[in-house]
Amino acid sequence: MALHNPLRRTAATITNSTTTSMLLSSTPQTTGPSTAAATFICSQCRHATLLRRPKRPYTFTQLITLSDGSTFTHRTTSPAPVYRTTRDTRNSLQWNPSSNKLRGLEDDEAGRLAAFRARFGRSWDAAAAPPSAIAADPKDPVAQKAAEEAAKAQEQAAQEEEDNLLDLISSFGQEEASSGKKKKD
Amino acid sequence: MAAREPSRYMARALPRALGSTARPQGIACRRFASDEAPARRLSSQMDELETASSLEGTVSEDVAKSFDPVAQANSRKTQLPRSRYQFRSPKYYRGPLHPHQPPPPSDPSSRVFVPGPFSSPRAQQTYTSTIAQDILALCYVHNPPGFKPPPKAPRLREWDDSPPTIRTGPSVDRVVERITIHSHVKGAIKENSSWLHVAGMAIQTISNVKVTTYKSKTSVPSWGVVPGRDTCAVKAELQGENMYHFLGKLIDVVLPRIKDWPGIKGSSGDSSGNITFGLAPESVAMFPEIEVNYDMYPPKMIPGCHITLHTTAKADKDAQLLLSALGLPFYGKMIN
Repeated sequence: MALHNPLRRTAATITNSTTTSMLLSSTPQTTGPSTAAATFICSQCRHATLLRRPKRPYTFTQLITLSDGSTFTHRTTSPAPVYRTTRDTRNSLQWNPSSNKLRGLEDDEAGRLAAFRARFGRSWDAAAAPPSAIAADPKDPVAQKAAEEAAKAQEQAAQEEEDNLLDLISSFGQEEASSGKKKKD
Repeated sequence: MAAREPSRYMARALPRALGSTARPQGIACRRFASDEAPARRLSSQMDELETASSLEGTVSEDVAKSFDPVAQANSRKTQLPRSRYQFRSPKYYRGPLHPHQPPPPSDPSSRVFVPGPFSSPRAQQTYTSTIAQDILALCYVHNPPGFKPPPKAPRLREWDDSPPTIRTGPSVDRVVERITIHSHVKGAIKENSSWLHVAGMAIQTISNVKVTTYKSKTSVPSWGVVPGRDTCAVKAELQGENMYHFLGKLIDVVLPRIKDWPGIKGSSGDSSGNITFGLAPESVAMFPEIEVNYDMYPPKMIPGCHITLHTTAKADKDAQLLLSALGLPFYGKMIN
């Protein structure tokens, strides 16, 4: 009976004198199983809880560069030392709801941008009629007149703007020259 | 070890077997019949005891002079083995009465010691320097003396016995306590465990925390889920430093990149200050850690996940206030 149950067997050796005498005789028959019986290997038992070492993945320090140039470091499992974001809280509409730039709108109160486009490119954008003209009802003569006037004014303003720009370009060298003369005098 | 065991017992059993009954009478005042049983007999142990005390004896002069531990240490050519000078925690905890106790987890020699924190995360700095005071002021409820707020029915039943966590009073600060990232992996049930391995690695990579797997507790016949058999979920619990790093990364880098993300739904909350939202697999793939090594993951196996933000706030309203201050947008009707 004792041979079949290894854990009981060791307990029996302490109390039972008959097994002691068996050990004393130390025949090869008994030593074989007794050595096997004496090993106390228990993977997990109630009276001994294994203290497991906590496993943590290796982390690196990474520098995150946000789209507006601000940076901060954090610990990640990613081995890349620097991470540049293309879209983050600084340039997403969800976090900047009041930004016209991100909404795709431009504030062009004086119409200067439109005038520039009419002259130098993106004509598909500038060719569209101004919003006031579109809004005007063609049946209403007063509104039509007002729209025409507005368009004229717009055109005139664009012409003036153009002239101003041309003036700026043409007068660029001369002013400098004149100031140089003055200095000489 | 195995060879030594029988000899040890033999040494103890030998005098008994040979029948030495020399037992000094009068050492124990009371005697019982069971004391005479061979297992209880103390005679051999009593014989082994020394009568002389070690404190009484005098040390001779030359022995005292020859004792020079410093010289002995200097004369040693090699360093002592580590086991001679370093405490080593036991591998097993064997109960409070065991003589060899493991040190507390905060001790560096403990087996369960986790070093850190090594950095002060940006989100935490933002919280302590700017948000905490504002939240405290915004959530302050003033009860003038003599005013009694109308009694409110408790959401959860009272705990009658001594509480498992003792709190001195209601906490006033609203902090993000911990973050749970949970991912239900359908493929692990239907196909094989590779889905689970990929999901576990992905969640570990984005969270810096090792994941634990979970088996289903309930049966869902339409999904083919059998309780207790299928491992169907992966979870990571973030606390402290890891949590703040994850939160900062999520808010600043990942969420803005999600196309047409409206924010967290105003009604997402368990009415005691814990708010959950989900991320689709495409969004999980946008984390910088996964992006940098995207080829490692089979594209169809990248998991989606649910992120639960556990706050110390008692109501969802306070939690929403805290999280929106940290930079998480909410949309829709706010439900407390």
